[in-house]
Amino acid sequence: MKSFPKHRRLPAILLALAAAGLGAAEAVVATCGPFTDTAADAFCPFVLEIFYLGITTGTTPTTYSPADNVTRLQMAAFLSRTVDGTLKRRGKRAALRQYWTTQNSTVLGLTTVAQSPRFVRYDGADLWVSCSNGISRVRASDGRPLETWTGAPNAAGVLTAIGKVLIAGGGNPGSLYVIDPSQPAGAATTVASNLGNVAIGIAFDGTRVFTANTSGSVSLVTPGASIPWTVTTVSSGFITPTGAVFDGSNVWITDSDAGTLLKLDPSGTVLQTVTVGSNPNFPVFDGTSLWVPNATGSTVSVVRASNGAVLATLTGNGLALPRAAAFDGQRVLVTDSGSDAVSLWKAADLTPLSTIPTGASTSVYAAASDGVSFWITLSNVNKLARF
Amino acid sequence: MAGLGTGSGMRTKSGGTVRGAAGALSVAAGLLCGGASALLGLCGPFTDVAADAFCPFVLEIFTLGITTGTTPTTYDPSGNVTRLQMAAFLSRTVDSALRRSSPRTIVDRLWTPRGALAGATTVGMNPVFPACDGADVWVPNFNSSTVSRVRGSDSRLLETWTGATGASGAVVAMDGVFVCGFSNPGALFRIRPNQSPGAVTAVATNLGSGSSGLVFDGGRFWTANYNVGSISIVVPGPSLPWTVTTVTTGFSNPIAALYDGANVWVADQTVGKLQRLDAAGAILQTVTIGAFVGIPVFDGVNIWAPTLGGASIQVVRAPSGAVLATLTTDGWPLAAAFDGQRVLVAATGTNQSPPHSVSLWNAADLTPLGTILLDSLRPNVACSDGLNFWVTFRDDPLLLKF
Repeated sequence: MKSFPKHRRLPAILLALAAAGLGAAEAVVATCGPFTDTAADAFCPFVLEIFYLGITTGTTPTTYSPADNVTRLQMAAFLSRTVDGTLKRRGKRAALRQYWTTQNSTVLGLTTVAQSPRFVRYDGADLWVSCSNGISRVRASDGRPLETWTGAPNAAGVLTAIGKVLIAGGGNPGSLYVIDPSQPAGAATTVASNLGNVAIGIAFDGTRVFTANTSGSVSLVTPGASIPWTVTTVSSGFITPTGAVFDGSNVWITDSDAGTLLKLDPSGTVLQTVTVGSNPNFPVFDGTSLWVPNATGSTVSVVRASNGAVLATLTGNGLALPRAAAFDGQRVLVTDSGSDAVSLWKAADLTPLSTIPTGASTSVYAAASDGVSFWITLSNVNKLARF
Repeated sequence: MAGLGTGSGMRTKSGGTVRGAAGALSVAAGLLCGGASALLGLCGPFTDVAADAFCPFVLEIFTLGITTGTTPTTYDPSGNVTRLQMAAFLSRTVDSALRRSSPRTIVDRLWTPRGALAGATTVGMNPVFPACDGADVWVPNFNSSTVSRVRGSDSRLLETWTGATGASGAVVAMDGVFVCGFSNPGALFRIRPNQSPGAVTAVATNLGSGSSGLVFDGGRFWTANYNVGSISIVVPGPSLPWTVTTVTTGFSNPIAALYDGANVWVADQTVGKLQRLDAAGAILQTVTIGAFVGIPVFDGVNIWAPTLGGASIQVVRAPSGAVLATLTTDGWPLAAAFDGQRVLVAATGTNQSPPHSVSLWNAADLTPLGTILLDSLRPNVACSDGLNFWVTFRDDPLLLKF
């Protein structure tokens, strides 16, 4: 094949046919695109844009009814399509032409990490994975294992903040480890070793690091110029704090044994208690709502962050001992620890998308997103899976 | 008005207060109105809107440019909205949201290039379909049977992979980069980018002849096979080779494929058709585009299909197949790519004579943004990483960033 086929010179006959076809298309006359009742004035480009974007289909294929009013019901459809269309185009998956959803465990991209990976977090380029014998760093663009850091026993929740990687240490007492990712891999630095027992969940509010300690407390760690960093541990109002998430205003903690989601003030005092399902674990915030996987309840509570209202309690879609949630800008993924699977929802309207197995006996644990793919820890096989 | 003027703050949607912003808006409104304090707004510049719970919403769409008010000082809050006015509001909402969230805005790179930019990367001979992985660009080189890896941030050639006979289409999926081979029979090759560069791995070598375009649907790979007229569906498995099913019914010269989130579409070049396929590769729908359809792209809503013969781009709604618009181009358009906001179209000059060009289009309203003349550089195919477009060239071993 000496010349690539699409560059062949066109036979004259084909050119003539193409021109004839084009002429026929132009014979269709409309005032503003397909709409014969809309003038070709300053408003026409706006009408055409929402037509091209699929936000309106017109009142008929050839009319738009420009002078009609809009009911609140119709407006809901227009706004919903506007948000959907904007998110779909803006997502990085659109530019990278990745419109697919992974369908089965065979097509997962697997990276071997350290032993028994649990939590994972994305820093904008790389993924950081807490494992039983170290912290693995994996490049998101190609899944390449880059580094393994040591010195973080009982590593649990991971956070990327203040230019560092922070890891909750779930020992007795709990610890906070810090990795400087600009340095060669080595041992993590222990910046505090007097947190409440069994620190697992971790969140940052812009000032302090919050850890959820399943022994019944929340620790607030203030980064400082010297080590150790200052720790305040609050136990009032907590039974089994497990997950932690910051919504831009407040830190929320799941209290597993209480079946509640707790909104905290900056000092760790409980401001609001939201009853969710049984055994809530590791939630995620999607910009508006908190998604709370309730493990033994096999449900997901969707809670509006601004007022704590439970918008929906999701069931089905393969939920089986759901443990952790992640958000990619459009979709929420929940890990199903009871069935070696993940469940996917469309975040904007809470519709279930699919349940995808991660492989037998893989022990799916937690997940994060880089905005293109989800990354899932498979604890039993020491893998980080690109989904 | 006292509340704003005395700096007691304004309510935001989330219930907080914004003091600085309120003051600034009041000052701005005052300046606009010639400093007449009597005309200062109740809600930003708007004297007819109360400073109540709705005010922050009105101010947001004013600040974002979604509304300009009915006059500089009025918003007419109780007026109804016609469908015509609503079109303007929604259109501006989409434009504003896309512009603000674009990676190009974040890194202060809002320009549209007016000419070929310096810094072309030398890749292999006859580079074809590039694929972006978010950090690097992967370029199959047809004549060299190699695949080049180029770093997106600085255009540096990082690696060259060998053994990809007839390297043509590329897709980033699963645990690597996949490239199909335009050979007889066609082939599918795998690169594990987390390994050191070397020879690619053939995962299947019994595809239809002339595998040109390649796409992934979340479970399987699809190739458009040009020579005999077929598509091949490759199912990944735990061992090599992977299972291949080839379908010939209804195809003439498929050149490229795309996945719209629900279906695979194939561009059948010589017959000038877009064909929407079911999961088994049977044709569900045929959209006639015009002779010599090029390499199409899906923008999340519509398919942009270049036609060499028609010297135009057909914008087709997926999945209905309705042709929304025919855009006339300079020269013969070959290939389209989408960056989240804009579509780039690579074109040769008419009759493949210089000057060749790339043109840019606003994907939301289909308006042309400009054409960049490339003189004798003949573009081939393009991809985007969300920040830049990357274009390969037919006669030169080059990858160029726009």
